[in-house]
Amino acid sequence: MKRAHRRIHFAIWAVLGPVIFWVLVLAVLNRPDAPVNETLPSLLIEEAS
Amino acid sequence: MSHDYKSVQWTPFKKRFDLWMLAGIALYLVLFIVIGQMYQPPGESIHPVQAMIRATGTLAFLLLTFILCIGPLARMTNRFKPFLYNRRHLGVTTFFIALIHAALVIMWYHGFSETNPLVSIFISNPRYESLSGFPFEVLGFVALIVMFLMAATSHDFWNANLGPGLWKALHMGVYFAYALLVIHIALGAIQFNKSPIYVALLAASTITVVGLHVLTGIAAMRPSDRTAREGWLKVAAIDEMEDARAKIVRPLKGEAIAVFRDGDKISAVSNVCRHQGGPLGEGKIVDGCITCPWHGFQYRMEDGQSPPPFTEKIATYATQIVKGVVYVNPEPNAPGTPQTPSQIGATA
Repeated sequence: MKRAHRRIHFAIWAVLGPVIFWVLVLAVLNRPDAPVNETLPSLLIEEAS
Repeated sequence: MSHDYKSVQWTPFKKRFDLWMLAGIALYLVLFIVIGQMYQPPGESIHPVQAMIRATGTLAFLLLTFILCIGPLARMTNRFKPFLYNRRHLGVTTFFIALIHAALVIMWYHGFSETNPLVSIFISNPRYESLSGFPFEVLGFVALIVMFLMAATSHDFWNANLGPGLWKALHMGVYFAYALLVIHIALGAIQFNKSPIYVALLAASTITVVGLHVLTGIAAMRPSDRTAREGWLKVAAIDEMEDARAKIVRPLKGEAIAVFRDGDKISAVSNVCRHQGGPLGEGKIVDGCITCPWHGFQYRMEDGQSPPPFTEKIATYATQIVKGVVYVNPEPNAPGTPQTPSQIGATA
């Protein structure tokens, strides 16, 4: 790999790394308390029908 | 070496590699769905389409994590060189798995709306200001577009037409695609699923990928040896030079130099392959030619020229052996210039 590419490559990771970690930590800390269920509750299905 | 157009330059090794890869993918998908159903909480059920969405999503992310680790790991140990040689097939396969994941998501979650499903991805959840409610599917969609551009231009046809510099710059987009996918999962699956497994996997992937790239990046930028002898840079003692392999020397200025040992001969060439800038010094000598670890481009040791009918040329460097130690002159000869190899055992 050319020297210039190597520097760009390193610079990208030096910037992306902290950004990824920061978002990851924020996302984990801000998780909603109640889990969101992907399936519809049976009561709602009955109401809809 | 793209003298003639071939869709894929198959070798027996590549065929075996692809077969193992496809078998591994099939096994992962089956195991993920079967084990997922076994450990589903009582009273809850998951539709096979949802199971497939999760299976393909996790598989695509794990494959991308592995692909991004291959480069740094291949610099640390030769064991990962075969993966480096087949990285392109892995990358295109990862794109297709991600495409299946996206297609299933669009069909399952957006296909029954009156809105165009592709538009629905962007407008069905307008909470762009929220963190935990962010429309994470948009991030995955953008990452998929980046992966598509890379898969579509992965063939040598595009490398030849775009030029190695632009091609390489385009393919560095994979780093941004990876970042988008980490955030896609962090704001998506991790918000809905309380299982610590997803958080642990995501954290492990991120620490491994970022850590490996930063560490090898620092090592690669550091000049390897400043010991000079009248302007010549020290490479290594002869005993430390493995046959058919190279030592890479990084001078303060200019490109890195790959110093190869082939039996009792020592030769030095530029470390940068003319094809895609691959690290020639991480390759080996095959059939008497220096062979790039990325895609198998070859150069003769004595003059840095590709064997006929190919026409690529790289710079050569003068070497000398003094008291059992190999030195290289950091001033490059013009690409393709013949340079007599140093002979081990000859009087310096």
